[in-house]
Formats: sequence, structure tokens, C-alpha cells
Amino acid sequence: MSEATALADRGRWGTKLGFILAAMGSAIGLGNIWRYPYVVYEEGGGAFLIPYFIAIATAALPILILEYALGHKYRYAGPFAFRAIARRWEGLGWFQVAISFFIATYYMIILGWCLAYIFFSFGSQWGEDTTTFFTGDYVGLSASFWDVGGLQWSVVVPLALAWALVLWILFRGVSRGIELASKILMPALIVMLVIIVIRAITLDGAAEGLDVLFTPDFGALSDPGVWIAAYGQVFFSMSIAFSIMITYASYLPRRTDLSNSAFIVGLSNAGFEFLAAIGVFAVLGFLAISQNSAVTEVAGDGGVGLAFITFPAIINTLPGLNTVFGLLFFGTLFFAGITSAVSILETSIAPVREKFDLSRRAAVGLVCGAAALISLLYATGAGLYYLDTVDHFLNNFGLVLAGLLEVILVAWVAKQLGPLAAHVNATSYIRAGAWWRWSLMVITPVLLGALTVYNFWTEVQVRYEDYPLSGLLVLGWGAVLLTVVLGVVFASVSDRGSAAGLDKSVGR
Amino acid sequence: MGTSAIVMLLIGAIFLWGGVAAAIVNYTIHSRRDTRLFEHD
Repeated sequence: MSEATALADRGRWGTKLGFILAAMGSAIGLGNIWRYPYVVYEEGGGAFLIPYFIAIATAALPILILEYALGHKYRYAGPFAFRAIARRWEGLGWFQVAISFFIATYYMIILGWCLAYIFFSFGSQWGEDTTTFFTGDYVGLSASFWDVGGLQWSVVVPLALAWALVLWILFRGVSRGIELASKILMPALIVMLVIIVIRAITLDGAAEGLDVLFTPDFGALSDPGVWIAAYGQVFFSMSIAFSIMITYASYLPRRTDLSNSAFIVGLSNAGFEFLAAIGVFAVLGFLAISQNSAVTEVAGDGGVGLAFITFPAIINTLPGLNTVFGLLFFGTLFFAGITSAVSILETSIAPVREKFDLSRRAAVGLVCGAAALISLLYATGAGLYYLDTVDHFLNNFGLVLAGLLEVILVAWVAKQLGPLAAHVNATSYIRAGAWWRWSLMVITPVLLGALTVYNFWTEVQVRYEDYPLSGLLVLGWGAVLLTVVLGVVFASVSDRGSAAGLDKSVGR
Repeated sequence: MGTSAIVMLLIGAIFLWGGVAAAIVNYTIHSRRDTRLFEHD
């Protein structure tokens, strides 16, 4: 089989625009809208932009280029790209794949909530008390962590719809599915966000909200926690260390400008979240004026609460076109989330095909079927507790550890930065030079190491959300441990698919 | 809005959105100049 035939068989992007939009769709997710604005607000306001820019230049862009190079050079998904550079490190790829898989299970439930809230936007069906509506009427939150409760059908039905749409996209394959969806959803997402921001900054009080967001506290720059937050933000935001970008780059044709693609994707992601922050704090300023209180009092903590409790309250307060604003906001969340969910699942589908010689349909059915079953756990009365716990631990420990191991493997163990830089520079106009190597050899490992220690230290100091220790051990640390175990198990299973020829192709 | 907040807002907008625009322009120019880029194998 020729290289071109083999590439077409496992999937390939039809156009360069398709790849860039799909990679942007993966990077731009829910966190850009509900996490980033609060990181800026809490970590020095406008002054936070300084460590943020430095983190983009020394961590986000270098790791993006690295992952593009790994996928593009070896033409395999994460586990086998790592095995190609160091035989015993296939497990690291499976560890990343397992993290992605479990993240997909709860990501889908949030997409289901977004679909439900698109429906609830007609006539603002959440009523005046948006907190009670969300936690009580809609998700039916249990009184305690281990009070599982039954399945909430109001959550299960939109969850099933979200799964049906994701399955349809994934069944259609890389070019006719993921690429086509990205070409439709990404431009629509950007247009919708721009409309929201234009409306937001023309509301009374918008300037007060933006003042709270951007007034710089330069003293915060002497706090190491602010720098760690900046690196954490770009790390969580760019879809790196999930194996996603390795998989997506493996579908690229040989002649592709890798570094410029990384600049477009990385900076678009940052530009999108910056725009989202302006929109979020402009409407928070409006809410504060409407309630005669300070922006700091109405801001809350971001995340699920911002989207499903604070925003419905804001929509209630708007002077007109409330339904349209609701549709735009929850539509934006849904579009941002679905392109990310597709990429997270594709990260599991590609290596399963390569390992077990499965057809695309079989691999999609297997991976999504298993993920859909697990996602039902979050549709129970205690699902919100479980989602919060798994999300916290997989991101703060699993993902950070996976990223740290990745840069240590490539830069220090396998010493592959030179050959990968040569690969990037052969087809790219922006060279992966000394800046790239030093970022990956020194700055990124040091900062990710610091982030790991910081997260661990914070965790032992304060029990997360005051959840029961048994819950944190089972669903928090247990989830992280399970991803490690799955990494080891999958790496030790013998190959039946195209991965079987990998060692021969790299000269072992 | 205070002056310092406006300045930081402008810095963010220029760096991030200007960076995206520059990367897209650079990519487009080089893609046109070298049509071999992104040809299928």
C-alpha cells in the first residue's frame, strides 16, 4: 500500500482550511468562555496579560508545534507516535487517550445541558430563580455526594440528542464529518460571539464590567501563583497533552506548514477567549447595574454556575430580545463544545483502530458506546458532584502530568527535539529554532512541574469543595489512577492493526 | 473605564487579534507563493 493510500484509508483532511478550523474547533471549547474571563479577573486583571502572552509564546505555541510534528512525522495517533520515538512510551499515549475518553464522558452531558437551555431560552422558561431551576428542577441535584438518585430524564433526553449528533459527525469520517462540521460550526461560532459581544458592550454598565476585568494590578506579577495560573490557562485551553493535536496532524498531507498552522490555531484560540472575556464581563457589569450592586458581587466563580445560573439571570434582565440572546449564548456554548467533543473522541477512535484493526464504524461505535454508557452517571441526581470531581482531578493531575511526561520524553529521554525541528523546518516558514527548543527543554517542564506541585499542595491543604474524602478518592484520585492503569494495559496488549508494522517502519 | 484598563484592553486586542491576522496573512502569502505546500502526496 502506498503512503498516500494508507493515509487516505485512515482518514485525511480535504483542505488546509478544514484542518485549521478543526484544530481551532478542538482548542476553542467551553473553558474559553467560562474559565478564561475569571482567570484574568482573579489573577491580576489586565496585568495578567503579561504572563499570559509569555505563556503562549513559551508553552502553548511550542507544544502545539511539537504535537503537530509528532503526528505529522509518524502518521499515527498519540500512543504510536510516542512509541515511534521511544518503544516503551506507548503507554504515555494511551494514558492521554484515557484522559480524553473520560473527559468526553462528562463533556457530552454539558452539551446536553446546552441543548436543553437552548429550548428553555424560548420565553425564559428558567423563571426568576435561576439557581433553583438549574440545581433543583433541571438536574435534580441530590442532597449529598453518595445519594446517587435516579436518572434525570430531562438531562438524559438532550444528552441522547447530543450523542446522536456527535455520532453522525464521527461516522462520516475525517473529511466528510469532522472537517465539514468544523467548516460550518466555527464561522457560525465566531459570528455568534461577535454579535453577543456587540450587544454586551452596548448595555448600560458594560464599561464598569470591563473596568473590573482589565484594571491592572501589577503587584500580582510578583506572585508565583499568577504565573502558574497563566501557564495553566494556556495549557488547559489549547487542547495540548490530550493526544488530540497529534491525531489531527496525523491526517495532514506531507507538505504542510506546521508552525504557521500552530500560530493561527494558538492565537485564534487566545483571541477567541479574549473576546469572550469582554462579552462576559460587559454583561456582568450590566447585571451589577441592574441589581444596584458591585460587579465583584455578581461575578460568581465562572464555570457551570456562570453559564446555567448567572447568564439566565442576565437574560431575564435584558431590556429586549431576551430569547434571541439566550439562543445565541447557549448556541455559542453548544457550537464551541461540540467541535471539542468530536476531537476528544476522535483521539480515542484513531488509536483503537490502529491497535485492533477495526473499521471506522466499529471503532466509533465501540468508543462512543462505552463513553455514552459512562456519561449516564452524570445524568443522575448526584451527577453534578461527580462531574465536578472527575473534571477537577483529571485536569489538575492527569492532564498536567501527561503534559509534563510528554515534554520530558521528547526533550530529555528520547532527545528528539533536533529531528522534530528539522521535520518542522522542512515545510514551515516560521522556523522551530532556539526559542522552540529552550521552551520545551527548560521553560515548559519547569512550569508544568511547578503546576503539578502547586496543584498537589493545594489539594492536600483544602479538601476539594468539601466533598467526602471517599468521593474524592473514588471518583477523583480513582479516575486519575484508572487512566494510568488503562495506559499500561493498552500498551501491553499485542497489536493487531496497522500499529504492528510501526517498529519495522522506524528501523527497530 | 479607567485609562489603565483601556490601555490593557488595547494591548490585548492588538497582540492577540493582530497576531491572528498576521499569522493568517503570512500563511496565505506563503501558500500562494509556494503552491507545493499542502499539496496532497
